[in-house]
Amino acid sequence: MNLVNLSLFALGLALFLYMTGIFVFGVTVMGKRWSKRDAATHEQRWGRRALRITITAFVLHVVYFILRWISAGHIPNSNMFEYLVMLSGLITIAFLILYAIYRTPVLGMFGLPVTVVILVYASVFPWESSPLIPQLQSNLLIIHVTTAALGEAFFAIGFAAGFIHLVRTVNYAGTAKIDRREQRGLELIFWVILVFVGFVLATFLFKGVGYQAEFNYPMEENGEVVTKQVAYTLPPVVGPHEYEKITMDSFLGTSEPWTEAPGWMKGINSASKLNTVIWSLLTGTVLYWLVRLVLRRRLGAVVQPATKDLDPELLDEISYRSIAIGFPIFTLGALIFAMIWAQIAWSRFWGWDPKEVWALITWLFYSYYLHIRLSKGWMGKPSSWLAVVGFIIVMFTLIGVNLIIAGLHAYAGV
Amino acid sequence: MIHNTKCECGHQNPVGTVLCESCGKPQQDEDSAELLEMRYDGVARRSQKQQKNWIDQIWSFLSSVKVAVWLILITLIGASLGTIYPQQNVFVGNIDLAQYYETQYGTLGKIYYMLGLHDTYGSFWFQGLLVLIGASLVVCSLDRVLPLYRALKKQQIRKHLSFIKRQKVSHETRLDLTDGETAEEWTEKFEQVLRKRYYRVHRDGTALLAEKYRFSRWGPYINHIGLIIFLLAVLLRSMTAWEVDYVPIQEGKIAQIPGTKYYLENQEFRVEYYEQDELTPEFREQGRTIEKSFETDAVLYECVDNCDNPSMEPELNKLKEQTIFVNGPLTYQGLSVFEVHFEETPQLLHVQAQLRMKGPDEVIGTLDLDIANPQDVYTVGDYTLRVIGYYPEVSFKEGRFVTLSNDPNAPAFVFLIEGPELPEDGYVHVYMVRPVDQAQFQQDVLNETAGSPFELSVASMEDLVISDYTTYFNVKQERTMPFIWTGATISMIGLILGFYWHHRRIWLRIDNGVLTIGAHTNKNWFGIRQELTNALNKAGVEVDAKTIANEVNGS
Repeated sequence: MNLVNLSLFALGLALFLYMTGIFVFGVTVMGKRWSKRDAATHEQRWGRRALRITITAFVLHVVYFILRWISAGHIPNSNMFEYLVMLSGLITIAFLILYAIYRTPVLGMFGLPVTVVILVYASVFPWESSPLIPQLQSNLLIIHVTTAALGEAFFAIGFAAGFIHLVRTVNYAGTAKIDRREQRGLELIFWVILVFVGFVLATFLFKGVGYQAEFNYPMEENGEVVTKQVAYTLPPVVGPHEYEKITMDSFLGTSEPWTEAPGWMKGINSASKLNTVIWSLLTGTVLYWLVRLVLRRRLGAVVQPATKDLDPELLDEISYRSIAIGFPIFTLGALIFAMIWAQIAWSRFWGWDPKEVWALITWLFYSYYLHIRLSKGWMGKPSSWLAVVGFIIVMFTLIGVNLIIAGLHAYAGV
Repeated sequence: MIHNTKCECGHQNPVGTVLCESCGKPQQDEDSAELLEMRYDGVARRSQKQQKNWIDQIWSFLSSVKVAVWLILITLIGASLGTIYPQQNVFVGNIDLAQYYETQYGTLGKIYYMLGLHDTYGSFWFQGLLVLIGASLVVCSLDRVLPLYRALKKQQIRKHLSFIKRQKVSHETRLDLTDGETAEEWTEKFEQVLRKRYYRVHRDGTALLAEKYRFSRWGPYINHIGLIIFLLAVLLRSMTAWEVDYVPIQEGKIAQIPGTKYYLENQEFRVEYYEQDELTPEFREQGRTIEKSFETDAVLYECVDNCDNPSMEPELNKLKEQTIFVNGPLTYQGLSVFEVHFEETPQLLHVQAQLRMKGPDEVIGTLDLDIANPQDVYTVGDYTLRVIGYYPEVSFKEGRFVTLSNDPNAPAFVFLIEGPELPEDGYVHVYMVRPVDQAQFQQDVLNETAGSPFELSVASMEDLVISDYTTYFNVKQERTMPFIWTGATISMIGLILGFYWHHRRIWLRIDNGVLTIGAHTNKNWFGIRQELTNALNKAGVEVDAKTIANEVNGS
């Protein structure tokens, strides 16, 4: 086995252990009521087991990182797969730090799933390490990307704690207008998480059966119309605008796309991206309703009992604390180190490139969060909603900007 | 209406004071049991003045955190608009933007352009928002930092009872003193416990004030000062810095950096590509080549004489020699030269042609031709060669030579050769550098027809100097970067002080055997409750973290 495969093996094992960790943290929190033992002893015993599993998983995660660094010859954070895998590892670090401060096992039940979802999501992108173009050959690749990601990892834990806070405090029995709105908001977040999961499931399902379709489509380039080729890995619900079929495995009895993308979508491969989005939304929605129909309750209402013993004020504080720890790190990594590098490599420290702008937007949003908490009535629920929205902005900056808006950072690859 | 602002402890407070500056007694809603508003320790701020003139109005507008928060939100949304479509600064050269946005993005693009969003970040409203944020940073900080400084400077040790009881962390209990211990001795014991936890303790009999990490309160203000310096430096930079983007310089050439006294020489350019097996399968499939590195050996010169005189050669003074690569610009006293891009632009620079008589005769001499700038006359051996025709990109039209451009892409020279034993008029001899042109325009036939007994040719390819690449440079002169980095550093220091330490204060007094203790922090209540619980337990008062959380307000 070569180094790369060995590193991926370690990573797979880490993923498995993280999932086990979530389960054991779940037993720690929810098992208190089943076991005949004293609740505190139960929590202590199972909490320690869960922590041990998580740390082992993290060590394997580090093993992956080191092996891959050695085999690639540069820090493994230069394409989407490597970056997301690193981010998920840093989220584990952020989780461990906050767990060390507050010692609440429920943080594991909600924080570790963020690690897992991101790790699983990473696996959809090409696993090969890509060669570094001259622009990326700098020690700042190590410090800028790592620090920025560490800041984001703390925001992720801030999100997880804020999310539990909401699950704990939203009144699922209430029928008042405000209660309904909050219930719907929370369900929306569950749905968004399931859309991510749905995306991964659909991708692997069709990769597993080896689904393929290829099309030619016209595209305007420097004023000339050229023919481009695109390969679909998911069955084409939407084909490219004015496509011409090359091959297509039949799907549900048809061997033609059901419809084609509208003409105003002009970006390269925009139709296949749209197709992926449609598949993710579809699978996510199906998953959501499946779970909801099986359990016959809203997802928030299912999870809520697990959080009953928690102190909402403590959750609010963990969420805030995590963001407060992450904010200076994010400022340093995503703005200051970024400016230093941009000054050296691109000859300007700031250039309003979309990725830069979104890093600034993320920063402004968390500044907003920190300032508005000073006002009366903004602690607790409103603050938690902001922590959730903040992390959505972080994810958009990381992934959405690369997928939707092209810019200088596009070469970081997807 | 004139308020009496004298507190019962005898301290004269300024109008607008929430908590007495001296004893901490609430000055408003005195009898309520609600938690105290401890922000800025309840001191009066300038923005809370009763009678306001227009300066005060502006001041109190800009000093409001609510306004600041709205400014942040509006800026955030405004900034996101600029990422919907590419901004005008990504386009190189002259293109019709109105046309471009409409054809590329349809009606939405047209509206986008009409709203001026193609230049979001240069627009007056966006820059205005940044200025307002800057002003708000200054005013907010000044409005709060000075009163807060005064309040923290002159804290009284014995606080009013209602001040302590209405803290978010607060506890009241009868003190069970063991055998003969006095209340004062207990307080002293408690002082020692707190000192071990790095508190600075001030004690006045049975009253105590313990405080730590006060400096963290200055974190936000230090951060704001850093941000202000940063913004001012950006402004200063936009007024003083100049830059010249995309200066192409061919390998082997010296060129003036347009509009400046500087000249740059591209001595040699090197590029290296990744091997196929180093690429990912995806890239290999697409047949892409990816550069591993590219670098330029460059020399920076300054013009010292004849700079503006086109008829004279400028006199250059060498300043610095350096290899420039993508993450390694050349820097010289605030001037930086960045390598941004390269292009393969094969072009002939020099040729060393050998002159000889036809037949097996030996070489008469070598002619060193600078292809772009040939001399008028060359001397080779006993012969003089006068350049009577020069066609940088030679072509043949209507029976005569013409040139298609001024770029030496297909250079051709017509010489008049004079010398010993030659007719008085000399011979006309055509020389084309590229073998392709020699064949296409039948150089040898032409020379034969003209009767030239000479032959002019290169001995080998090594006698041709070819420039393969052009490097594109960005050149910048900016002396304000140190201020920008200073601002960023100060900001970071402020953030670290403010977020990684927490200001904690504990007040305690014992009245007739009843212990009243209260604590305040600006962040991390969980931590201070834990700390106070441990300290009290150590001093023999049994409490847990839950009991000392003040539940008056239900929170």
